Amino acid sequence: MVKIFIDDRELEVSEGLTILRAAEGAGIPIPHFCYHPAFAPEGSCRMCLVEIEGLPKLELACSTVVREGMKVHTASEKVIEARKAVLEFLLAEHPLDCPICDKAGECKLQDYFEAYGFFESQFKESKEKREKKVRISQNLILDRERCILCTRCVRFLNEITRTQDAGVLDRGIHSEIAIYESEFIDNNYAGNLAELCPVGAITDTDFRFKTRAWFLVKKESICPLCSRGCNIFVDFHPGFARIPMAQRVYRIRARENPDVNQFWICDFGRYHYSYLDQGRQDKILLKKQGRDTELSWEKALLIITEKIKSLFLFKKRSRVGVVLNTWLTNEELFLADKIFRQELSVENIYVVDPPSEKGDCFLLTEERTPNSRGLKEIGLPGLTLDLGKLAAQTDLLLIFGSFLVDRFNLADIKIAFDRIGTKILFTAHKSALDSLVDVVVPTQLIAEKSGSLSNVIGKVQSFSPALYNSSGLPEWKLLLDLAKELKVNYKYFWQLNSPQAILREMGREIPFFK
Amino acid sequence: MEEKILTRDFGLKNLFKIEVYLRQSGYKAVEKALQQMKPAGILDEVKKANLRGRGGAGFPAGVKWGFVPQKTDKPKYLCVNADEGEPGTFKDRYIMSHNPHLLLEGIIIASFGVGIHSAFIYIRGEYEAIAERLEGAIAEAKAKGFLGKNILGSGFDLDVVVHRGAGAYVCGEETALLESLEGKRGHPRLKPPFPASIGLFQCPTVINNVETLANIPFIILKGADWFVKKGLPKDGGTRIFGVSGMVKNPGIYELPLGTNLRKIIFEAAGGMKDGKTLKAVIPGGMSAPILRADEIDLAMDFDSLAGAGSMLGSAAVIVIDEETPILEVLKAVAKFYSHESCGQCTPCRIGTSWINKIVGRIAAGKGEKDDLDAIIRLAENIKGKTLCPLGDAAALPILSICRKFKLELEGHLSR
Repeated sequence: MVKIFIDDRELEVSEGLTILRAAEGAGIPIPHFCYHPAFAPEGSCRMCLVEIEGLPKLELACSTVVREGMKVHTASEKVIEARKAVLEFLLAEHPLDCPICDKAGECKLQDYFEAYGFFESQFKESKEKREKKVRISQNLILDRERCILCTRCVRFLNEITRTQDAGVLDRGIHSEIAIYESEFIDNNYAGNLAELCPVGAITDTDFRFKTRAWFLVKKESICPLCSRGCNIFVDFHPGFARIPMAQRVYRIRARENPDVNQFWICDFGRYHYSYLDQGRQDKILLKKQGRDTELSWEKALLIITEKIKSLFLFKKRSRVGVVLNTWLTNEELFLADKIFRQELSVENIYVVDPPSEKGDCFLLTEERTPNSRGLKEIGLPGLTLDLGKLAAQTDLLLIFGSFLVDRFNLADIKIAFDRIGTKILFTAHKSALDSLVDVVVPTQLIAEKSGSLSNVIGKVQSFSPALYNSSGLPEWKLLLDLAKELKVNYKYFWQLNSPQAILREMGREIPFFK
Repeated sequence: MEEKILTRDFGLKNLFKIEVYLRQSGYKAVEKALQQMKPAGILDEVKKANLRGRGGAGFPAGVKWGFVPQKTDKPKYLCVNADEGEPGTFKDRYIMSHNPHLLLEGIIIASFGVGIHSAFIYIRGEYEAIAERLEGAIAEAKAKGFLGKNILGSGFDLDVVVHRGAGAYVCGEETALLESLEGKRGHPRLKPPFPASIGLFQCPTVINNVETLANIPFIILKGADWFVKKGLPKDGGTRIFGVSGMVKNPGIYELPLGTNLRKIIFEAAGGMKDGKTLKAVIPGGMSAPILRADEIDLAMDFDSLAGAGSMLGSAAVIVIDEETPILEVLKAVAKFYSHESCGQCTPCRIGTSWINKIVGRIAAGKGEKDDLDAIIRLAENIKGKTLCPLGDAAALPILSICRKFKLELEGHLSR
């Protein structure tokens, strides 16, 4: 540890730290464009210059390492003037098209001008004309006039994806970011570039011109599209009267977590967010002879519990089947294991997940569900489902998720289901399965509920609702209601009234979840 | 008044051939260094000689060599900076074309002293003929056993490679030179780390100017004390001044360090051409702040020039006469740095271009009242705030021109 002074505040910081990091750790922000914690300092934007006592020139905060007794000033007149000068240079050649720029509202250039600038432009010359719409990847557009040449994009492609797709061409004022002629940046992480760009030079056609950053509510969540469990922000429109709520979510962004996804997410996770809004189940429906009748949850619950009770009464316990999946949270899988396997002694518990796909050796894994590790740690022995056997030995089937349609031919499912007395489907999305069951109960997605997931490297990550969903119920709630209605081990389940309480109990019973 | 050491034999026919060079007791310094001296002794001698770098910054060569770690598991490299991009500078091309073996001798001794086995001569691309001459000299030296394996039976190996630059001024900056040499875009690196610890291919590297290395054989043969006496106590040896502009005899003049600037112009170079009147002098290449005619009674050494607010730089003396509008000088400087800014860091990339645009507008007759103040303000915002010295190299001469010739420049502005 070394003792330093930043703005006359005495700080104990670890050796080898840069001034910028030390200052940020103490809550003293130092403005910067080119510096990004994922890369080695570049030192080219010159925005982070600070004053160090005893040195004649201003020094870079991003690259200067702290020394014992160092006295740093981050807000002296000299420093503020230098920041102003950098902003003046950058803005002189900037198109100032904030009103039509998607970055407006979350642009570093805008923010810093507000913090340190507010000067009248002295630039009387004509600005350089550059291309404003260069497509650099399937989804990305480069605006060279807005570019401040921080080269974060170049360094990302050199150091993170190691694809080396981009570089700086030409020299001096004519310098510009370029990719190989007629060759797009083509990798599963390109979408990070729009987020990494500190200004509006790289924008994402998926987001471009659709909304403004300041209309969006930004909430934390976990990406459930593979078993990595990348930390994300879900940016959504809270909506106001004149906009119908057809689309809530406008984008998914990476959220820093050094243990899981560092600063990045893959494009698969970034762009596949339409499932949050499209094709959702929104009513509890009783399906009888081609007619749908809306039910309350209490009524639906009654149907299920009556059926279970009658089967138990006639000693047909073994004719209850449950289909689970690993989109369910740790808490939900734990409850399912407790209620069905341990309390009700149901033997036929199946796990049906979407099939694995190719991973990409970085973040995206082969498993396309978020919690198969959780299932394994809970010790629930999920059987592989065989439609013929299922049909022969089942009178009541409780199905969580619609993944059966990913695994089996619909005609085969129909043949099997026709032989099963009662089929209850708990699902977030509409699918062809709906017409084959008796009751459909809408559920909530990961982004809408609370709980935790165990990712591929065995990290248990808790999350809270990012989005509001009033029409669906979280599965942990459904399962608890079922347990209460069936009056199984009341004392035990009564205290497990929230995902947090369930996880605490899990920690007591299974060391992995401690 | 000339003190010819490096340039002593330049008049000799075919000096670039090794037979001629050997007859002038060539490679005697290499023999002495490799056969009679230890690396540490060479380092000490060069340190004692107070040989300051001839490229521009004037950093003591011996001290620079001393920064290279003695014990390292990495290879060490020597890079000879023969980029000679500073406008007005043309001394290194004389050394390399007239006496390439002198440079090679310097390279061999320096490499032996620091423990280097690979040296690169980074030569500016326009010097194609000189590059070929160097390659010829390297082949000759190798054939005679002065390069290659086990030089003169000393067990010391050294290979020298000539690398041609691709035409960027910034590649004369040592770290940009390294990047270029590695085959990358010639962008200066962030310092620290300095090349002495992490240089070419991430290995410890010495980078010296051609003229600096050409001095080494004389220091070895005649000793540090002799060398210091030829110049100043803190600034040993001679300097090759390249005088250009409105003088009777433009050319190179090897003179002791500390020679008076007025003497260089009016005695060595024969005075002003066609009886013109002196207006200004740029004393150390274009990046040196300008001196007015009344400021030239100056000793030409690093410290005296620094004291006068300018710099010795590459010792390229550019002489400007009364009839040359100072706006033309400003235009040339602004255009050059705007063109040569590598574009990596903000103040230099946009600042030099902005200044160039204002100067261009003034030259087009559309100067406005506050333009000069704007140029000074912008140059001040570049000064000391850029990633490499190119920013200062642009800002300092522009500031000095604008301040020292304010009245004349204001004449171009609308009132």
